[in-house]
Amino acid sequence: MLIISFISLLLGGFVAGTFGALLGLGGGVLLIPFLVMVLDIPMHQAIATSIIAVIATSSAGAAMNLEYRTVHIRLGMLLETATVTGAILGGITANYLSANVLAKLFSGLLFLVALVMIWRARQHTGREPIYTDGILPDSFYDDASGKIVHYTVKKVPAVMLVSLVAGNVSGLLGVGGGIFKVPAMNILSGIPMKTATATSNFMIGVTAAASAFIYFAHGHLNPFIASTAALGVLAGSMTGIHISRRIHGNVLMWIFALALFGISIQLYLR
Amino acid sequence: MPDTISISNDVRHDTERWTGRVLRIGVWVSASLMIVGLLIAATYPSTIVVLSSNPTLGNLLMRILSRSFDPVTLMFAGLVFLMLTPILRVITAIVGFGVEHDWRFVIVSSIVLLLLAGEIVYSIFIKG
Repeated sequence: MLIISFISLLLGGFVAGTFGALLGLGGGVLLIPFLVMVLDIPMHQAIATSIIAVIATSSAGAAMNLEYRTVHIRLGMLLETATVTGAILGGITANYLSANVLAKLFSGLLFLVALVMIWRARQHTGREPIYTDGILPDSFYDDASGKIVHYTVKKVPAVMLVSLVAGNVSGLLGVGGGIFKVPAMNILSGIPMKTATATSNFMIGVTAAASAFIYFAHGHLNPFIASTAALGVLAGSMTGIHISRRIHGNVLMWIFALALFGISIQLYLR
Repeated sequence: MPDTISISNDVRHDTERWTGRVLRIGVWVSASLMIVGLLIAATYPSTIVVLSSNPTLGNLLMRILSRSFDPVTLMFAGLVFLMLTPILRVITAIVGFGVEHDWRFVIVSSIVLLLLAGEIVYSIFIKG
């Protein structure tokens, strides 16, 4: 029995991590429905497990992105003041809510994520709105164009507000929140997509850590479940990052968006 | 707000390099502890009991210091080390910004650190 649970958790984590990385979602969005609906793990425990997986994948991914210098550390730190505040409040709130309420909120989040995925899949890849008259100037070497891209940051207060919400959702439901932060950084602040994604990934580890100790103190962290699933997600996300360089994500995005609608409805009716 | 371009690139990249190193070491150490814990659990002679309440951070530290490396303690040690990794990353950034004399971001990072410290104190408080 123990070995079956171990393999299920490891494989489930691996699949969630792989597709999470391929779709730019992070592992949590797919891991939590798997833990709750397939393995029948209580909602609070699933969220705590996902938070651990988010810290692992964010830390490993950020270490890699820092090497490529695509992370805007200063912007990340500035926005973390908002995400961490939101996450602490979310973590405290989640522990006062019933599993049923959290499941309903999570199903709503999945629905929203599916809509954002469809919107992203329909976007035409054109020129990005990069500004040079903002604050915190930075640059990075873009492999695709072979050029150094210089950019600045605009509308920081607006992105901080979005980050506060993203942090709150992270603490409440155990996801990274990149689905909100990345478009906000790209569209509102005019940061190149590559930097927005890398900076968001850099931030979600700290954001997740902001609620992890609260879940730990409430006894929702099962060492066996969390360790196995986190290792699976970590291995899966590394594989996903590797595969994503070779495949075109749009078809996958559509398939998973439809699947998320289905999971969302099923979780709501549960 | 200091113009980041005016900061020496080498010093700036040192902060990025060290932050990356801290994250990488954190993931490796915690993943190793979890793997060793799981491997010992797989070969453990008796049934492993996982209590419904997690140990306090102090309890966990005491167990590690007394070298009682049972699989559950090892897995918890890995999980807590992983949870501490982003906090260590924030401390590294504070030191890095300090070396760069970017005091504004030393303050910003310190606020993040204070919030995280507040969360840990709150967690210890609710644990009783």
